[in-house]
Amino acid sequence: MKQIIGRLMAGGMLAALALSMTLHAQEFKLGSRTVQVHGFASQGYAYSNENNFLTMNTSHGSPAFTEGALNVSMAVTDKFRVGGQGYTRKIGSLDDFRPSLDWAYGDYKFASWFGVRGGKVKTVLGLYNDTQDMTFLYTWALLPQGVYPVDLRTTYIAHTGGDAYGRVSLKKAGKLEYTLYAGVRSFDNREGYYYYSAGGGFPISTIKGRMIGADLKWFPVKGLTLGASGADLTAHRTGFLGKTPYTFDSNPNRPLAGYANYARGKWEGSFEYRYVNNYEDISFGGATPIHEDKCTRNWFAAASYRITPKLQAGFYHSSTNVEAPTIPTNTASNHIYDEVVAARYDVNSHWDVKAEGHFMDGYGDGRQTQGFYKQWNPQGLKPTTNLLMLRATFKF
Amino acid sequence: MKKLLYAFLLVASASIFVVQAKAQVIVIANNSVKTSEVSKNDLKDVFTGASTSLGGANVVPILLKAGTAHEEFLQAYIGKNDTAYRAGWRSLVFSGQATMPKSLDGDAAVVEFVAHNAGTIGYIGKASAHEGVKILTVK
Repeated sequence: MKQIIGRLMAGGMLAALALSMTLHAQEFKLGSRTVQVHGFASQGYAYSNENNFLTMNTSHGSPAFTEGALNVSMAVTDKFRVGGQGYTRKIGSLDDFRPSLDWAYGDYKFASWFGVRGGKVKTVLGLYNDTQDMTFLYTWALLPQGVYPVDLRTTYIAHTGGDAYGRVSLKKAGKLEYTLYAGVRSFDNREGYYYYSAGGGFPISTIKGRMIGADLKWFPVKGLTLGASGADLTAHRTGFLGKTPYTFDSNPNRPLAGYANYARGKWEGSFEYRYVNNYEDISFGGATPIHEDKCTRNWFAAASYRITPKLQAGFYHSSTNVEAPTIPTNTASNHIYDEVVAARYDVNSHWDVKAEGHFMDGYGDGRQTQGFYKQWNPQGLKPTTNLLMLRATFKF
Repeated sequence: MKKLLYAFLLVASASIFVVQAKAQVIVIANNSVKTSEVSKNDLKDVFTGASTSLGGANVVPILLKAGTAHEEFLQAYIGKNDTAYRAGWRSLVFSGQATMPKSLDGDAAVVEFVAHNAGTIGYIGKASAHEGVKILTVK
């Protein structure tokens, strides 16, 4: 039933997009207030020479890469706004067109230096966490997966809780922007957590957690953004290994990020380093927990250049290093390095198309979500993967 | 791969050295906007969604859809081309942090709208007629 609803929603969104293209209808009146409607739909195709990636059958070429969103928002007063966004996607076996509520919240801005948001709020973590699904904003068809994994989108992108935020002028030293947040995490049973856990023999029965965190951005000079983020996450996982009950508890799970972005003229460069201080206490049948190291060091460096007003090209290097791989002698499992070249063409203000090549070395550790899953690679994983990604997006 | 990287950096670095011409656009506001001047930073904040106030009062930016005045305004005060500029607004809209500002066809439409809507602020070509609105000095 959910699949039917999801597919109807996807079809409805596409119809709404087509209709909006015809009627240019992006807003309507609700009493005296204007309600704005925006959305996007994206279709991709992926082909890999070796391993299947992100639960898609990429080794045979896969068009199973579709996503879309529809949002409505309204300024109730000069200080108070409300809005929400519905989202659906099918990326291989991720989500399978099930509709979800991406975000829905009220936002009250007391002053430029202090505002609050409450509801399901996108999480500010690093450069792109709260906009990771909006790839129409970027040159890339896929953001660096070591830092912004597509298969963990639901887990990181939003929290149900509240934010305090604001922007403060430092006069000649630029501006500071801060966000503080706390809330409950979401876990999707058709995403990375469930799939990698099942692949390791630990199917999940229940999982819940919360997050608290902060982000600070500094804009010292025109075009430059410097920032740092930190979060404290929990995840309490339960299930059965055979007939033996197990629990996994994060102790701790703290992603820490430092990042920079500089845009000038026709080019833009960005960098992010994210250390995920991640340990888990694993207990079987109530026995004394085993303390397991799942820490990773991740970073990417990217640059893009606007060749013409419609054409952009870019590249990035993404790196993930697993501190304590399950099998230390398996050198392909202790890292994933990804070198990417991409081109983006803006057909018009609504359409863009992208072509991207990924040259990946390593496949990461089986105890974590790294994009490569045993269930979709029953023949075993090869040490390198070359992936071609094509993507077309419509937005309004 | 390394040669491609070096070639990319060489071409990209040449674009850093850009000579900017003096803007041929003026910033206009509804007569309800009390301030008569605005700093470049404050203007950029309003037109990028970073701020919704000017001189202590709420303002609403009004854009041109396209054209010379639009491109010059972006070049002089925002530092982005149209695609990057609208992408910035989309990131706010799709995160629920702002509503997309209204974009109008031509200077006359912008003047008409700003003149009749309190709190609005826009930009037009320097030579365009602008009865009914006030001009903000950008310092």
